[in-house]
Amino acid sequence: MDDSPADSGQIITVQHLIKRYGEFIAVNDVSFSIREKEIFGIIGPNGAGKTTMVECISGLRTADSGSISICGLSPNKDRNKIREFLGVQLQESSMPPRLKVGEAVDLFASFYPKPVDPDGLLETLGIRDVKNSMYKKLSGGQKQRLSIALALVGNPKIAVLDELTTGLDPEARRETWALIESIRGRGVTVILVTHFMDEAERLCDRLALINHGKLAVLDTPEAIAALAGGNRMRFVPSQLVDDKTLYAISGVVGVERKERYVTVTGTGDLAASVIDSLARIGVHVSDIEARGGNLDDAFVKLTRDASGASGGVQP
Amino acid sequence: MTSVPSESKGKESRGHFSELLKVEGKLALREPTGLVMGIGVPTILLVVFGLIGIANPGNVANTGYTVLDLYVPVIMVIGFIFLGIALLPNTMVRYREIGWLRRVSVTPAPPSRLLAAQLIVNLVLALATILIAIFGSEIIFGTPLDVAIPYFVLSVVLSIAVIFSLGLVVAALVPSQSVVSGLGGGLTFLLLFLAGLWVQPAQVGGPLATIMYYSPSGAAARALLSSVFNATPPLETLVTMVAYTIFFTVVAIRYFRWE
Repeated sequence: MDDSPADSGQIITVQHLIKRYGEFIAVNDVSFSIREKEIFGIIGPNGAGKTTMVECISGLRTADSGSISICGLSPNKDRNKIREFLGVQLQESSMPPRLKVGEAVDLFASFYPKPVDPDGLLETLGIRDVKNSMYKKLSGGQKQRLSIALALVGNPKIAVLDELTTGLDPEARRETWALIESIRGRGVTVILVTHFMDEAERLCDRLALINHGKLAVLDTPEAIAALAGGNRMRFVPSQLVDDKTLYAISGVVGVERKERYVTVTGTGDLAASVIDSLARIGVHVSDIEARGGNLDDAFVKLTRDASGASGGVQP
Repeated sequence: MTSVPSESKGKESRGHFSELLKVEGKLALREPTGLVMGIGVPTILLVVFGLIGIANPGNVANTGYTVLDLYVPVIMVIGFIFLGIALLPNTMVRYREIGWLRRVSVTPAPPSRLLAAQLIVNLVLALATILIAIFGSEIIFGTPLDVAIPYFVLSVVLSIAVIFSLGLVVAALVPSQSVVSGLGGGLTFLLLFLAGLWVQPAQVGGPLATIMYYSPSGAAARALLSSVFNATPPLETLVTMVAYTIFFTVVAIRYFRWE
């Protein structure tokens, strides 16, 4: 797996984590490390165990076995210490309807030893103008931002964000993404749980794909996308080219044909090498359509490969 | 966000409790239910029983007390019941249901502080109930109260303790807000009856009076009645309330869930 000589240290180490709910094994022997200041994505189908994993990391649940170390501390034994530098945005957590935005942020600021300036935070999040609005009056996007504000107001070293953009409209999602990048820019390590592939692809430095409580793969989004067959290029050749010629081109691993279209899949700079090689034998290509490996495809492939007959079950 | 985000408030854990209390207090004022139960209901009952008392002078069932005399403590207990059984568990269950307790529990502030702040807000409302019952009956209707302060304080503390601890049992055991409304409502009526809202134990007599005297709200009303007329509350009322309080507190602590 992606274990390049780390220029930055490991901030969280999870080893052989197991969590059961009765008979159901929600997290089954998962190990990984998260590096300081990276955006670490956890993806997987519903009921794969993503939320349970981050709940164990956040100290909301106790693992049945295995170990978790956060800056050398244990989420259960050193709960109170960890809470001072771990900000959590919980899935489906709401607030008292008549609580005002400014009051909520001030309240949470008072919980932490070294909070950020609440007004500045609201400003950055674009909700300073609704500071005096009650929670129940906020739009979905504003609620989500307030939720992020509460996770960040304590000036955390690590932020855990669970299903952050679920229920947001496309514009709000984009703004939230920009926000997460700015959080990382401040030196915060971000753990992002999501089931949106575009979000994971766009934001995360590395991704852990969880399926049926197991770690299916851990790598960069690009590397995982490549597992689906990598890059893909569709074109129309000026004259017939046989499969043998195409497979001889470096990087090509697959060839498909449909009417006059040829689709090659492979790795590396696929489009350039195909165009070059064909040009050398006097074949020109037109109607080119190229795209990189797709995380969606990889996701479907990996979750299907790994699954037995049973579907994902929500604990 | 700036590169130097830390702007320490220089406050330790005391800071967050006063902040929580402030927020819970504001929420209580915005949510009128608490004010209605703590202030509105006792005021209305005071007027109702004051008028009944004027229409029916003389003492009730040879107790030596007039109608309003008998109802001054009942009004207080009713206020405590509305606050402790109807309001407090409702708020706590709602906080749990919407994930607010859970949200607070992942911060350095323990969620028990939220419960403590809720209790204090409700105690303040209970104090309002007491003031209305005592001063309202004395000033407006001229009830000759003679409050024995030490016994009164003891009776009030135990009455609130027994009723609020029962409220916490409800908050601990009830899974959702819809259930808490139903169960809390039923329990509220039962306790109101036992406190003597519809009929006084002295009027019914027999085993029912005994049941009322040894119920949490009946014992509270009886202890308060003695102490507002400068008498020693019957020992069994105090013992009854202490016993219930211990039992309810143990059950509430054993079963309370933050999420």
